[in-house]
Amino acid sequence: MTPSPTGLRVNGRDAALDGMPDDERLLDTLRWRLGLKGTKEGCRTGDCGACTVLVDGASTLSCLTLTREVEGGEITTIDGDSEDPELRRVRAAFADAGALQCGYCTPGFVLALAGLLKERGRAAPVEELLDGLQGNLCRCTGYAAIVRAVALAREAPT
Amino acid sequence: MSPFELLTPETVDEAIAELRSADDPRPAVLAGGTDLLLDIEDGRTAPARVVSLRRLPWRTLDWVGGALSVGSTLSLRSLEADPAVRERLPGLWEAIHAVGSVALRHRATLGGNLGRAAPASDLVPMLLALDAEVELVGPGGVRRTPVDAFVRASRRTALGPAELIRGIRIPEARPSAYRWQRVRPANDISQIAVAAAFSPSRRSWSVAVGGMPPRPILLPEVARDLGPGAPNEPARRSACARASREVAIAADQRASEEYRRRLIGTLLDRAIRAVTIAGEGRP
Ligand SMILES: Cc1cc2nc3c(=O)[nH]c(=O)nc-3n(C[C@H](O)[C@H](O)[C@H](O)COP(=O)(O)OP(=O)(O)OC[C@H]3O[C@@H](n4cnc5c(N)ncnc54)[C@H](O)[C@@H]3O)c2cc1C
Ligand code: FES
Ligand code: FES
Repeated sequence: MTPSPTGLRVNGRDAALDGMPDDERLLDTLRWRLGLKGTKEGCRTGDCGACTVLVDGASTLSCLTLTREVEGGEITTIDGDSEDPELRRVRAAFADAGALQCGYCTPGFVLALAGLLKERGRAAPVEELLDGLQGNLCRCTGYAAIVRAVALAREAPT
Repeated sequence: MSPFELLTPETVDEAIAELRSADDPRPAVLAGGTDLLLDIEDGRTAPARVVSLRRLPWRTLDWVGGALSVGSTLSLRSLEADPAVRERLPGLWEAIHAVGSVALRHRATLGGNLGRAAPASDLVPMLLALDAEVELVGPGGVRRTPVDAFVRASRRTALGPAELIRGIRIPEARPSAYRWQRVRPANDISQIAVAAAFSPSRRSWSVAVGGMPPRPILLPEVARDLGPGAPNEPARRSACARASREVAIAADQRASEEYRRRLIGTLLDRAIRAVTIAGEGRP
C-alpha cells in the first residue's frame, strides 16, 4: 500500500500527523507523538547515532530530520515485532553476541547495521560494515561484543 | 507552534519566488538540513520561513564526456555509491567518505556543504583541487563560478539574493587523494586536511588544504614543486617542506598552529603517494 502523502508509515502502520508543527523532528514524532520509545535521543546534534532509524530502508539520524521532509516515507524503528529480514537478523545477532549492557545505544546500532546490510548486502566485507558503524557510539560495551555481533549478522543462516 | 513555516515548492521558479520575498531574516534554504537545523536550534539563525528543496529535480548524477555533473540535492551517500566516482575521482570519494557517518550522508548534500562553506568542510578542498564549478540559478538565470570564487568564509559565499546552487561540475577524471587528521574518525571535523589531484590534460598537480579558518585554499606553489607527472622523492619532499614552511596557518580551538604545520607536510606526502598516475606507476 502506498503511504498517504501527508502521513508516515511506521513499522508497516499508517501514522497520522495532523496538527504537527513544521519544525518537529522525526525523533520527537516517533517518541512523543507516536509513543514509540525504542528510538533513543543521545545528543540531538548528529554525533552519537542513538536516534538512527530507517527511512525507505536508508539509515537516517532522526534527530536531524524534519518529519515533514520524510512525509510519505516508510519508517522502520526497533519497536515491535518486525517482518524486516535484515532487522530480525541483526537483532538476533546482537542478542546472541550479548552486544549490549545498558542498551541505550543498541537500537541505533541495530538499525544502522540493518541499513548497511540492505544497502551493501551480506557479502560486504566485515571491515566495510564496521566502518559504516563509526557514527554510533557506545559507552558501555567496549565494542568487542558489537564487533562479534556484526560478524554474526553476516554469517548466520537466513 | 513551529518557529518556522516549511515550504516545499514543486518547481525551481517557485522556489526562487519564495526566496525573493522581503522577509527579514531572509527565508532559509533546506537541503539535507544537517547544518541548517543545528544553526536554527542554536539560534544562529531564526528564519520565519524555510524553503525545502526536496521536490526539486536535482538529485542527479551524470557523466558527460568525462566530466561529472552532480545535482546539488543528491545525497552524499548516493554519490559515494556510484562506482565511477570511486574509480575516476578517488580523492572525491575519499573526501565524501570522510563526512560524518553513513546515516548523516544519507541526508547531507554537496549543495549544503558548499552553502555552509565551513572552514573545515571536507568537500571544498577536494572540489578546489578538481577545479570544480558551481552552477547557480536565480532570478537572473543560470551562472557558473569556480568553487574558489564561490567560497569566501564560514557561512559566506558568492550566492546572490534568491540564488540557489543547482549543481556542481567537475571537468575531468583525475587521479587524486584526500588525507585528514581528526580526533574521532567519524562525526568529527578535520583539524587539517589535504587534497591532491593530478590533471592528465594539463599535466600538472593541484593541492588544497582545509580544516582551518577562514576557508580551504589552493596551494599553487606547492603544486608546482611536484612537476608535470609523478614527482621523484626530492620534488615530493620539497613540496611538503614548502607546505609546512609557507602556508598561512591559523590556530583555533581544534588545533594549534604548530600541530597543523607539522601535519600539513605529512598529510601532503601521504596524499601524493596515494595518487597513481596512469602509465607512471606510483610516485
Ligand atoms: C554530526 C555531524 C558531522 C558532520 N561531519 C562533517 C564532516 O566530517 N565533514 C564536513 O564537511 N561536514 C560535516 N558536517 C556538516 C554537514 O553535514 C555537511 O556540511 C553537509 O554536506 C551539509 O549538507 P546539507 O544538505 O545537510 O545542508 P543543509 O543543512 O540543508 O544546508 C547547509 C547550508 O547551505 C544552504 N544550502 C543548502 N543547499 C543549498 C542550495 N542548493 N542552494 C543554496 N543554498 C543551499 C542552507 O541554506 C544552509 O545555509 C557534519 C555535520 C554534523 C551534524
Ligand atoms: S541523538 Fe541523533 S545522533 Fe545523537
Ligand atoms: S550498551 Fe550502554 S551505551 Fe552501548
